[in-house]
Amino acid sequence: MTDLAIQLNAVMKKYRYFTLDNIDLQLPAGQIMGLIGPNGAGKSTTIRILLGLIHQDQGDVQVLGHRMPAEQVAAKWDIGFASEDMRLYEGMTLDWHMSFIRSIYPKWDAAYSQLLLKRFGLRAQQKIKGFSHGQRVKATLLLVLARRPQLLVLDEPTTGLDPVARHEILRELTAVMTDEGRSILFSSHNTQDVEQISDQITFIDRGRIIDSMDKEAYLDRWRRLRLEAPSGIELPALPGIINIRQTGRLAVATANAFVPDLANAYENTGARVQSVENMTLEEIFVANVEHSREEVEV
Amino acid sequence: MKGSVVQALILTDWHRHRLHILLCLVCGGLALALIQVGGELPTIFGATVFFVGLIVLGSMLPVSNVINERKKQTLPFLMSLPLSVTQYTAAKIVSTVGMFLVPWLTLVVAAVSFIATHPVIPDGFIPAILIAAIFTFVGFCVIAGVALVSESEGATIAATIGSNSLYGFGWYLLIRNPAIRADMSSPVIVWSREVLTILGIEIAVIALILGLTFYLQSRKRDFI
Repeated sequence: MTDLAIQLNAVMKKYRYFTLDNIDLQLPAGQIMGLIGPNGAGKSTTIRILLGLIHQDQGDVQVLGHRMPAEQVAAKWDIGFASEDMRLYEGMTLDWHMSFIRSIYPKWDAAYSQLLLKRFGLRAQQKIKGFSHGQRVKATLLLVLARRPQLLVLDEPTTGLDPVARHEILRELTAVMTDEGRSILFSSHNTQDVEQISDQITFIDRGRIIDSMDKEAYLDRWRRLRLEAPSGIELPALPGIINIRQTGRLAVATANAFVPDLANAYENTGARVQSVENMTLEEIFVANVEHSREEVEV
Repeated sequence: MKGSVVQALILTDWHRHRLHILLCLVCGGLALALIQVGGELPTIFGATVFFVGLIVLGSMLPVSNVINERKKQTLPFLMSLPLSVTQYTAAKIVSTVGMFLVPWLTLVVAAVSFIATHPVIPDGFIPAILIAAIFTFVGFCVIAGVALVSESEGATIAATIGSNSLYGFGWYLLIRNPAIRADMSSPVIVWSREVLTILGIEIAVIALILGLTFYLQSRKRDFI
Protein backbone atom coordinates (compact mmCIF):
# COMPACT_ATOMS: atom_id res chain seq x y z
CA MET A 1 0.00 0.00 0.00
CA THR A 2 1.15 3.53 -0.80
CA ASP A 3 1.87 6.09 1.96
CA LEU A 4 -0.84 8.31 0.57
CA ALA A 5 -4.42 7.16 0.92
CA ILE A 6 -5.62 9.88 -1.45
CA GLN A 7 -3.74 11.91 -4.03
CA LEU A 8 -5.31 14.41 -6.42
CA ASN A 9 -3.11 16.32 -8.82
CA ALA A 10 -4.39 19.28 -10.87
CA VAL A 11 -7.89 17.82 -11.05
CA MET A 12 -10.44 19.78 -13.03
CA LYS A 13 -14.10 19.16 -13.70
CA LYS A 14 -16.19 21.64 -15.66
CA TYR A 15 -19.95 22.02 -15.53
CA ARG A 16 -22.03 24.75 -17.08
CA TYR A 17 -22.28 26.82 -13.91
CA PHE A 18 -19.54 25.33 -11.76
CA THR A 19 -15.90 24.38 -12.18
CA LEU A 20 -13.79 22.32 -9.84
CA ASP A 21 -10.52 24.02 -10.56
CA ASN A 22 -7.00 22.64 -10.29
CA ILE A 23 -7.55 20.57 -7.16
CA ASP A 24 -4.42 19.28 -5.42
CA LEU A 25 -5.06 17.18 -2.35
CA GLN A 26 -3.07 14.64 -0.40
CA LEU A 27 -4.22 12.51 2.52
CA PRO A 28 -1.45 10.49 4.17
CA ALA A 29 -2.43 6.98 5.28
CA GLY A 30 -3.53 6.86 8.90
CA GLN A 31 -4.80 10.44 9.00
CA ILE A 32 -8.23 12.05 9.26
CA MET A 33 -8.84 14.93 6.90
CA GLY A 34 -11.74 17.32 7.32
CA LEU A 35 -12.90 18.81 4.05
CA ILE A 36 -14.70 22.00 4.96
CA GLY A 37 -16.60 24.21 2.59
CA PRO A 38 -19.87 26.09 2.25
CA ASN A 39 -22.79 24.56 0.36
CA GLY A 40 -21.96 24.23 -3.33
CA ALA A 41 -18.21 24.57 -2.73
CA GLY A 42 -17.37 21.31 -4.53
CA LYS A 43 -17.01 18.89 -1.61
CA SER A 44 -19.40 16.28 -3.00
CA THR A 45 -18.04 16.59 -6.54
CA THR A 46 -14.50 16.05 -5.22
CA ILE A 47 -15.64 13.00 -3.26
CA ARG A 48 -17.51 11.52 -6.22
CA ILE A 49 -14.40 11.97 -8.36
CA LEU A 50 -12.43 10.13 -5.68
CA LEU A 51 -14.85 7.22 -5.92
CA GLY A 52 -14.81 7.15 -9.72
CA LEU A 53 -18.51 8.03 -9.92
CA ILE A 54 -17.69 11.26 -11.74
CA HIS A 55 -14.83 11.34 -14.25
CA GLN A 56 -12.47 14.30 -14.01
CA ASP A 57 -11.86 16.27 -17.21
CA GLN A 58 -8.19 16.75 -16.35
CA GLY A 59 -5.70 15.68 -13.70
CA ASP A 60 -4.72 12.49 -11.91
CA VAL A 61 -6.56 10.81 -9.06
CA GLN A 62 -5.09 7.96 -7.03
CA VAL A 63 -6.92 6.31 -4.15
CA LEU A 64 -5.16 3.62 -2.12
CA GLY A 65 -2.68 3.33 -4.97
CA HIS A 66 -5.40 2.83 -7.61
CA ARG A 67 -5.85 5.20 -10.54
CA MET A 68 -9.38 6.55 -10.67
CA PRO A 69 -11.79 6.18 -12.32
CA ALA A 70 -10.19 3.30 -14.28
CA GLU A 71 -9.47 1.14 -11.22
CA GLN A 72 -12.54 2.09 -9.17
CA VAL A 73 -13.69 -1.49 -8.66
CA ALA A 74 -10.37 -2.57 -7.14
CA ALA A 75 -10.21 0.59 -5.02
CA LYS A 76 -13.76 0.31 -3.71
CA TRP A 77 -13.07 -3.04 -2.05
CA ASP A 78 -11.15 -1.03 0.55
CA ILE A 79 -13.23 2.16 0.59
CA GLY A 80 -16.20 2.67 2.86
CA PHE A 81 -18.37 5.47 1.53
CA ALA A 82 -21.37 7.08 3.20
CA SER A 83 -23.05 10.31 2.25
CA GLU A 84 -25.83 12.45 3.60
CA ASP A 85 -27.95 11.73 0.50
CA MET A 86 -27.44 7.96 0.69
CA ARG A 87 -30.48 5.84 1.57
CA LEU A 88 -30.93 2.15 2.26
CA TYR A 89 -33.83 0.06 0.93
CA GLU A 90 -36.82 1.27 2.95
CA GLY A 91 -38.79 -1.95 2.70
CA MET A 92 -35.93 -4.12 3.97
CA THR A 93 -34.66 -4.68 7.49
CA LEU A 94 -31.23 -3.70 8.73
CA ASP A 95 -30.51 -7.41 9.16
CA TRP A 96 -31.23 -7.95 5.45
CA HIS A 97 -28.81 -5.14 4.57
CA MET A 98 -26.16 -6.67 6.83
CA SER A 99 -26.56 -10.04 5.09
CA PHE A 100 -26.36 -8.32 1.71
CA ILE A 101 -23.10 -6.54 2.55
CA ARG A 102 -21.70 -9.65 4.27
CA SER A 103 -22.33 -11.65 1.08
CA ILE A 104 -20.10 -9.21 -0.81
CA TYR A 105 -17.27 -8.37 1.58
CA PRO A 106 -15.08 -11.22 2.81
CA LYS A 107 -13.64 -8.91 5.50
CA TRP A 108 -17.09 -8.31 7.07
CA ASP A 109 -16.63 -8.33 10.84
CA ALA A 110 -19.75 -9.95 12.30
CA ALA A 111 -18.71 -9.42 15.93
CA TYR A 112 -18.03 -5.73 15.30
CA SER A 113 -21.37 -5.33 13.51
CA GLN A 114 -23.15 -6.76 16.59
CA LEU A 115 -21.17 -4.41 18.82
CA LEU A 116 -22.15 -1.44 16.67
CA LEU A 117 -25.79 -2.53 16.76
CA LYS A 118 -25.64 -2.27 20.54
CA ARG A 119 -23.63 0.95 20.67
CA PHE A 120 -25.91 2.69 18.19
CA GLY A 121 -29.07 1.29 19.79
CA LEU A 122 -30.36 -0.19 16.52
CA ARG A 123 -32.72 -3.15 16.05
CA ALA A 124 -31.57 -5.43 13.24
CA GLN A 125 -35.07 -6.82 12.60
CA GLN A 126 -36.61 -3.38 12.09
CA LYS A 127 -37.35 -2.15 8.57
CA ILE A 128 -35.38 0.91 7.48
CA LYS A 129 -38.57 2.88 6.83
CA GLY A 130 -39.27 2.78 10.57
CA PHE A 131 -35.90 4.37 11.42
CA SER A 132 -35.43 8.02 12.35
CA HIS A 133 -32.90 10.07 10.34
CA GLY A 134 -30.27 9.55 13.02
CA GLN A 135 -30.88 5.79 13.06
CA ARG A 136 -30.60 5.65 9.26
CA VAL A 137 -27.24 7.42 9.37
CA LYS A 138 -26.04 5.07 12.09
CA ALA A 139 -27.29 2.03 10.13
CA THR A 140 -25.42 3.23 7.03
CA LEU A 141 -22.26 3.76 9.07
CA LEU A 142 -22.61 0.32 10.65
CA LEU A 143 -22.73 -1.22 7.16
CA VAL A 144 -19.66 0.77 6.16
CA LEU A 145 -17.58 0.28 9.31
CA ALA A 146 -18.16 -3.47 9.70
CA ARG A 147 -16.53 -4.07 6.30
CA ARG A 148 -13.30 -2.81 7.90
CA PRO A 149 -12.31 -0.50 5.02
CA GLN A 150 -8.82 1.01 4.74
CA LEU A 151 -10.29 4.35 3.75
CA LEU A 152 -13.52 5.92 4.96
CA VAL A 153 -15.00 8.63 2.77
CA LEU A 154 -17.85 10.40 4.51
CA ASP A 155 -19.78 13.15 2.78
CA GLU A 156 -21.57 15.29 5.38
CA PRO A 157 -22.36 12.28 7.61
CA THR A 158 -23.47 14.34 10.60
CA THR A 159 -25.84 16.70 8.78
CA GLY A 160 -29.24 16.85 10.46
CA LEU A 161 -28.21 14.79 13.49
CA ASP A 162 -28.95 15.70 17.09
CA PRO A 163 -25.91 16.37 19.35
CA VAL A 164 -26.08 12.94 21.02
CA ALA A 165 -26.15 11.05 17.70
CA ARG A 166 -23.34 13.27 16.38
CA HIS A 167 -21.26 12.52 19.43
CA GLU A 168 -21.85 8.75 19.10
CA ILE A 169 -20.80 8.80 15.46
CA LEU A 170 -17.72 10.95 15.98
CA ARG A 171 -16.68 8.73 18.90
CA GLU A 172 -16.95 5.67 16.67
CA LEU A 173 -14.96 7.31 13.89
CA THR A 174 -12.22 8.19 16.36
CA ALA A 175 -12.23 4.59 17.60
CA VAL A 176 -11.81 3.33 14.04
CA MET A 177 -8.53 5.23 13.86
CA THR A 178 -6.93 3.06 16.53
CA ASP A 179 -5.93 0.96 13.53
CA GLU A 180 -3.10 3.14 12.24
CA GLY A 181 -3.44 2.03 8.65
CA ARG A 182 -6.91 3.51 8.32
CA SER A 183 -7.65 6.91 6.87
CA ILE A 184 -10.75 9.08 6.83
CA LEU A 185 -11.84 11.88 4.53
CA PHE A 186 -14.72 13.65 6.19
CA SER A 187 -16.58 16.48 4.49
CA SER A 188 -18.75 18.87 6.41
CA HIS A 189 -19.78 22.44 6.78
CA ASN A 190 -19.93 21.86 10.53
CA THR A 191 -16.49 22.98 11.69
CA GLN A 192 -17.07 21.75 15.26
CA ASP A 193 -17.28 18.13 14.09
CA VAL A 194 -14.23 18.48 11.91
CA GLU A 195 -12.22 20.23 14.63
CA GLN A 196 -13.08 17.43 17.03
CA ILE A 197 -11.66 14.54 15.03
CA SER A 198 -9.43 15.76 12.19
CA ASP A 199 -5.65 15.80 11.89
CA GLN A 200 -5.66 17.65 8.59
CA ILE A 201 -7.99 20.41 7.44
CA THR A 202 -8.74 21.42 3.87
CA PHE A 203 -10.87 24.44 3.04
CA ILE A 204 -12.68 24.44 -0.29
CA ASP A 205 -14.73 27.27 -1.75
CA ARG A 206 -16.24 27.89 -5.18
CA GLY A 207 -14.49 24.87 -6.64
CA ARG A 208 -11.00 25.79 -5.42
CA ILE A 209 -8.95 24.54 -2.51
CA ILE A 210 -8.08 27.67 -0.61
CA ASP A 211 -5.95 26.10 2.12
CA SER A 212 -4.90 22.67 3.33
CA MET A 213 -2.71 21.88 6.32
CA ASP A 214 -2.34 20.26 9.71
CA LYS A 215 -5.11 21.26 12.16
CA GLU A 216 -2.71 22.32 14.89
CA ALA A 217 -0.80 24.47 12.42
CA TYR A 218 -4.06 26.25 11.55
CA LEU A 219 -4.91 26.90 15.15
CA ASP A 220 -1.33 28.09 15.84
CA ARG A 221 -1.02 30.37 12.84
CA TRP A 222 -4.36 32.13 13.00
CA ARG A 223 -4.88 34.89 15.57
CA ARG A 224 -7.09 37.90 16.08
CA LEU A 225 -5.32 41.04 17.31
CA ARG A 226 -7.34 43.79 18.97
CA LEU A 227 -5.46 47.06 18.54
CA GLU A 228 -5.82 50.66 19.60
CA ALA A 229 -4.35 53.05 17.04
CA PRO A 230 -2.93 56.51 17.77
CA SER A 231 -5.43 59.23 17.01
CA GLY A 232 -5.79 59.94 13.29
CA ILE A 233 -3.55 57.02 12.20
CA GLU A 234 -4.79 54.29 9.88
CA LEU A 235 -3.06 51.03 10.86
CA PRO A 236 -1.38 49.14 7.99
CA ALA A 237 -1.89 45.42 7.20
CA LEU A 238 1.55 44.11 8.10
CA PRO A 239 2.94 40.90 6.53
CA GLY A 240 0.98 37.94 7.95
CA ILE A 241 -2.19 40.02 8.33
CA ILE A 242 -4.90 39.16 5.83
CA ASN A 243 -7.49 41.60 7.04
CA ILE A 244 -7.67 44.68 9.21
CA ARG A 245 -10.87 46.54 10.09
CA GLN A 246 -10.59 49.85 11.87
CA THR A 247 -13.38 51.92 13.37
CA GLY A 248 -12.06 55.16 14.83
CA ARG A 249 -9.09 54.22 16.98
CA LEU A 250 -10.08 50.58 17.48
CA ALA A 251 -8.93 47.97 14.99
CA VAL A 252 -9.22 44.21 14.63
CA ALA A 253 -6.50 42.49 12.60
CA THR A 254 -6.73 38.86 11.45
CA ALA A 255 -3.41 37.05 11.08
CA ASN A 256 -2.98 33.85 9.06
CA ALA A 257 0.74 33.63 9.75
CA PHE A 258 0.99 34.81 13.32
CA VAL A 259 4.35 35.15 15.04
CA PRO A 260 4.84 36.97 18.39
CA ASP A 261 6.90 39.62 16.57
CA LEU A 262 3.73 40.73 14.78
CA ALA A 263 2.38 42.25 17.99
CA ASN A 264 5.71 44.02 18.54
CA ALA A 265 5.62 45.31 14.97
CA TYR A 266 2.23 46.92 15.59
CA GLU A 267 3.48 48.45 18.83
CA ASN A 268 6.36 49.93 16.82
CA THR A 269 3.78 51.73 14.65
CA GLY A 270 2.47 53.40 17.80
CA ALA A 271 -0.53 51.12 18.27
CA ARG A 272 -1.37 49.47 21.57
CA VAL A 273 -2.07 45.72 21.43
CA GLN A 274 -5.13 45.15 23.61
CA SER A 275 -5.26 41.39 23.13
CA VAL A 276 -4.11 38.52 20.96
CA GLU A 277 -6.88 35.93 20.70
CA ASN A 278 -6.99 32.37 19.46
CA MET A 279 -9.56 31.71 16.76
CA THR A 280 -11.95 28.79 16.47
CA LEU A 281 -11.86 26.68 13.34
CA GLU A 282 -15.17 28.22 12.31
CA GLU A 283 -13.74 31.73 12.59
CA ILE A 284 -10.65 30.65 10.66
CA PHE A 285 -12.85 29.06 8.00
CA VAL A 286 -15.00 32.16 7.55
CA ALA A 287 -11.99 34.50 7.51
CA ASN A 288 -10.20 32.24 5.04
CA VAL A 289 -13.18 32.05 2.67
CA GLU A 290 -13.75 35.82 2.80
CA HIS A 291 -10.04 36.49 2.16
CA SER A 292 -9.98 34.03 -0.73
CA ARG A 293 -13.07 35.60 -2.32
CA GLU A 294 -11.61 39.10 -1.95
CA GLU A 295 -8.40 37.91 -3.63
CA VAL A 296 -10.33 36.38 -6.52
CA GLU A 297 -12.37 39.57 -6.96
CA VAL A 298 -9.19 41.71 -6.95
CA MET B 1 -15.01 -11.15 -6.70
CA LYS B 2 -16.41 -8.93 -9.43
CA GLY B 3 -18.90 -11.55 -10.55
CA SER B 4 -20.14 -12.00 -7.01
CA VAL B 5 -21.09 -8.32 -6.58
CA VAL B 6 -23.07 -8.37 -9.81
CA GLN B 7 -24.67 -11.63 -8.72
CA ALA B 8 -25.50 -10.22 -5.29
CA LEU B 9 -27.17 -7.23 -6.93
CA ILE B 10 -29.23 -9.44 -9.24
CA LEU B 11 -30.34 -11.67 -6.35
CA THR B 12 -31.24 -8.58 -4.32
CA ASP B 13 -33.42 -7.24 -7.12
CA TRP B 14 -35.14 -10.59 -7.50
CA HIS B 15 -35.75 -10.85 -3.79
CA ARG B 16 -37.25 -7.36 -3.61
CA HIS B 17 -39.57 -7.97 -6.57
CA ARG B 18 -40.57 -11.55 -5.89
CA LEU B 19 -44.17 -10.58 -5.07
CA HIS B 20 -44.56 -8.66 -8.34
CA ILE B 21 -43.39 -11.67 -10.33
CA LEU B 22 -45.69 -13.99 -8.40
CA LEU B 23 -48.66 -11.67 -8.90
CA CYS B 24 -48.04 -11.54 -12.64
CA LEU B 25 -47.85 -15.35 -12.80
CA VAL B 26 -51.12 -15.66 -10.85
CA CYS B 27 -52.75 -13.05 -13.09
CA GLY B 28 -51.57 -14.87 -16.24
CA GLY B 29 -52.71 -18.21 -14.85
CA LEU B 30 -56.17 -16.80 -14.17
CA ALA B 31 -56.29 -15.39 -17.70
CA LEU B 32 -55.46 -18.79 -19.20
CA ALA B 33 -58.04 -20.45 -16.93
CA LEU B 34 -60.64 -17.99 -18.24
CA ILE B 35 -59.73 -18.85 -21.84
CA GLN B 36 -60.07 -22.53 -20.97
CA VAL B 37 -63.68 -21.90 -19.91
CA GLY B 38 -64.40 -21.39 -23.61
CA GLY B 39 -66.83 -19.11 -25.35
CA GLU B 40 -66.18 -15.78 -27.00
CA LEU B 41 -66.43 -13.47 -23.96
CA PRO B 42 -64.19 -15.45 -21.54
CA THR B 43 -61.63 -15.96 -24.34
CA ILE B 44 -61.47 -12.25 -25.22
CA PHE B 45 -61.47 -11.25 -21.55
CA GLY B 46 -58.81 -13.86 -20.71
CA ALA B 47 -56.59 -12.79 -23.63
CA THR B 48 -56.95 -9.14 -22.58
CA VAL B 49 -56.01 -9.90 -18.95
CA PHE B 50 -53.09 -12.00 -20.19
CA PHE B 51 -51.56 -9.20 -22.27
CA VAL B 52 -52.46 -6.42 -19.83
CA GLY B 53 -50.65 -8.37 -17.09
CA LEU B 54 -47.50 -8.59 -19.21
CA ILE B 55 -47.72 -4.94 -20.24
CA VAL B 56 -48.19 -3.74 -16.65
CA LEU B 57 -45.24 -5.83 -15.46
CA GLY B 58 -43.13 -4.58 -18.37
CA SER B 59 -43.97 -0.97 -17.49
CA MET B 60 -43.62 -1.32 -13.75
CA LEU B 61 -40.33 -3.25 -13.45
CA PRO B 62 -37.97 -0.64 -15.02
CA VAL B 63 -39.50 2.13 -12.89
CA SER B 64 -39.32 0.10 -9.71
CA ASN B 65 -35.90 -1.44 -10.33
CA VAL B 66 -34.05 1.45 -11.98
CA ILE B 67 -35.78 4.82 -11.64
CA ASN B 68 -36.80 4.38 -8.00
CA GLU B 69 -33.20 3.60 -7.08
CA ARG B 70 -32.23 7.09 -8.18
CA LYS B 71 -35.40 8.70 -6.85
CA LYS B 72 -35.18 7.05 -3.44
CA GLN B 73 -31.42 7.62 -3.29
CA THR B 74 -30.42 3.99 -2.89
CA LEU B 75 -28.14 4.33 -5.94
CA PRO B 76 -25.26 5.93 -3.95
CA PHE B 77 -25.48 2.96 -1.57
CA LEU B 78 -25.13 0.49 -4.45
CA MET B 79 -22.40 2.49 -6.17
CA SER B 80 -20.37 2.55 -2.96
CA LEU B 81 -19.91 -1.19 -3.54
CA PRO B 82 -17.02 -2.50 -5.65
CA LEU B 83 -18.92 -2.08 -8.87
CA SER B 84 -18.34 -0.12 -12.09
CA VAL B 85 -21.09 1.64 -14.03
CA THR B 86 -20.88 -1.06 -16.71
CA GLN B 87 -21.22 -3.81 -14.10
CA TYR B 88 -24.15 -1.98 -12.52
CA THR B 89 -25.77 -1.74 -15.97
CA ALA B 90 -25.14 -5.44 -16.61
CA ALA B 91 -26.66 -6.34 -13.23
CA LYS B 92 -29.71 -4.14 -13.82
CA ILE B 93 -30.31 -5.45 -17.35
CA VAL B 94 -29.93 -9.08 -16.29
CA SER B 95 -32.13 -8.66 -13.21
CA THR B 96 -34.81 -6.53 -14.89
CA VAL B 97 -34.95 -8.58 -18.10
CA GLY B 98 -34.80 -11.80 -16.07
CA MET B 99 -37.65 -10.71 -13.80
CA PHE B 100 -39.77 -9.97 -16.85
CA LEU B 101 -38.61 -13.03 -18.75
CA VAL B 102 -39.68 -15.56 -16.09
CA PRO B 103 -43.41 -14.73 -16.06
CA TRP B 104 -43.33 -13.76 -19.74
CA LEU B 105 -41.78 -17.04 -20.83
CA THR B 106 -43.94 -19.09 -18.46
CA LEU B 107 -47.12 -17.46 -19.69
CA VAL B 108 -46.15 -17.56 -23.37
CA VAL B 109 -45.24 -21.27 -23.13
CA ALA B 110 -48.51 -21.88 -21.25
CA ALA B 111 -50.51 -19.97 -23.89
CA VAL B 112 -48.83 -21.80 -26.78
CA SER B 113 -49.30 -25.20 -25.05
CA PHE B 114 -52.91 -24.33 -24.39
CA ILE B 115 -53.56 -23.50 -28.05
CA ALA B 116 -51.65 -26.58 -29.19
CA THR B 117 -53.67 -28.90 -26.96
CA HIS B 118 -57.12 -27.37 -27.50
CA PRO B 119 -58.77 -28.01 -30.83
CA VAL B 120 -61.14 -25.01 -30.39
CA ILE B 121 -58.36 -22.54 -31.24
CA PRO B 122 -56.50 -23.42 -34.45
CA ASP B 123 -52.73 -24.00 -34.14
CA GLY B 124 -52.29 -21.40 -36.88
CA PHE B 125 -52.78 -18.79 -34.14
CA ILE B 126 -49.47 -19.70 -32.49
CA PRO B 127 -47.12 -17.60 -34.72
CA ALA B 128 -49.37 -14.55 -34.31
CA ILE B 129 -49.46 -15.07 -30.53
CA LEU B 130 -45.65 -15.30 -30.51
CA ILE B 131 -45.30 -12.10 -32.56
CA ALA B 132 -47.73 -10.27 -30.24
CA ALA B 133 -46.00 -11.58 -27.10
CA ILE B 134 -42.49 -10.72 -28.35
CA PHE B 135 -43.83 -7.26 -29.20
CA THR B 136 -44.54 -6.77 -25.48
CA PHE B 137 -40.94 -7.87 -24.83
CA VAL B 138 -39.67 -5.26 -27.31
CA GLY B 139 -41.76 -2.60 -25.55
CA PHE B 140 -40.38 -3.70 -22.19
CA CYS B 141 -36.78 -3.43 -23.51
CA VAL B 142 -37.47 0.09 -24.80
CA ILE B 143 -38.78 1.16 -21.37
CA ALA B 144 -35.91 -0.51 -19.49
CA GLY B 145 -33.30 0.98 -21.88
CA VAL B 146 -34.75 4.48 -21.59
CA ALA B 147 -34.92 4.15 -17.79
CA LEU B 148 -31.25 3.14 -17.53
CA VAL B 149 -29.84 5.61 -20.03
CA SER B 150 -32.02 8.65 -19.32
CA GLU B 151 -32.17 8.17 -15.50
CA SER B 152 -35.34 10.23 -15.79
CA GLU B 153 -38.78 9.35 -14.53
CA GLY B 154 -40.39 11.66 -17.10
CA ALA B 155 -38.56 10.08 -20.04
CA THR B 156 -39.42 6.59 -18.75
CA ILE B 157 -43.09 7.48 -18.42
CA ALA B 158 -43.00 8.88 -21.97
CA ALA B 159 -41.38 5.65 -23.22
CA THR B 160 -44.02 3.62 -21.35
CA ILE B 161 -46.88 5.59 -22.88
CA GLY B 162 -45.27 5.37 -26.33
CA SER B 163 -44.69 1.61 -26.12
CA ASN B 164 -48.10 0.84 -24.68
CA SER B 165 -49.80 2.95 -27.35
CA LEU B 166 -47.96 1.09 -30.08
CA TYR B 167 -49.11 -2.37 -28.89
CA GLY B 168 -52.66 -1.86 -30.17
CA PHE B 169 -51.39 -0.43 -33.44
CA GLY B 170 -48.93 -3.31 -33.86
CA TRP B 171 -51.56 -5.96 -33.22
CA TYR B 172 -53.95 -4.20 -35.59
CA LEU B 173 -51.32 -4.32 -38.36
CA LEU B 174 -50.69 -7.96 -37.51
CA ILE B 175 -54.26 -9.10 -38.02
CA ARG B 176 -54.61 -6.85 -41.06
CA ASN B 177 -51.71 -8.63 -42.77
CA PRO B 178 -53.49 -10.88 -45.29
CA ALA B 179 -50.89 -13.68 -45.25
CA ILE B 180 -50.72 -13.90 -41.46
CA ARG B 181 -54.47 -13.56 -41.12
CA ALA B 182 -55.07 -16.37 -43.59
CA ASP B 183 -52.68 -18.69 -41.74
CA MET B 184 -54.36 -18.02 -38.36
CA SER B 185 -57.22 -20.35 -39.20
CA SER B 186 -54.87 -23.09 -40.33
CA PRO B 187 -55.06 -26.30 -38.21
CA VAL B 188 -51.24 -26.50 -38.29
CA ILE B 189 -48.58 -23.92 -37.47
CA VAL B 190 -47.41 -22.06 -40.58
CA TRP B 191 -44.00 -20.39 -40.37
CA SER B 192 -44.50 -18.13 -43.37
CA ARG B 193 -41.85 -15.72 -44.65
CA GLU B 194 -43.85 -12.80 -43.19
CA VAL B 195 -43.95 -14.39 -39.72
CA LEU B 196 -40.23 -15.22 -39.73
CA THR B 197 -39.35 -11.72 -40.98
CA ILE B 198 -41.38 -10.03 -38.24
CA LEU B 199 -39.94 -12.35 -35.55
CA GLY B 200 -36.43 -11.67 -36.88
CA ILE B 201 -37.01 -7.92 -36.78
CA GLU B 202 -38.36 -8.11 -33.23
CA ILE B 203 -35.35 -10.11 -32.01
CA ALA B 204 -32.94 -7.76 -33.82
CA VAL B 205 -34.63 -4.73 -32.22
CA ILE B 206 -34.31 -6.33 -28.75
CA ALA B 207 -30.59 -7.00 -29.34
CA LEU B 208 -30.11 -3.47 -30.67
CA ILE B 209 -31.83 -1.83 -27.69
CA LEU B 210 -29.87 -3.85 -25.12
CA GLY B 211 -26.58 -3.30 -26.99
CA LEU B 212 -27.23 0.43 -27.32
CA THR B 213 -28.08 0.64 -23.61
CA PHE B 214 -24.74 -0.95 -22.70
CA TYR B 215 -22.87 1.31 -25.10
CA LEU B 216 -24.47 4.54 -23.91
CA GLN B 217 -24.04 3.60 -20.24
CA SER B 218 -20.36 2.78 -20.72
CA ARG B 219 -19.78 6.25 -22.23
CA LYS B 220 -21.24 8.10 -19.23
CA ARG B 221 -18.71 10.26 -17.42
CA ASP B 222 -20.93 11.35 -14.57
CA PHE B 223 -23.05 8.68 -12.97
CA ILE B 224 -24.21 10.14 -9.69
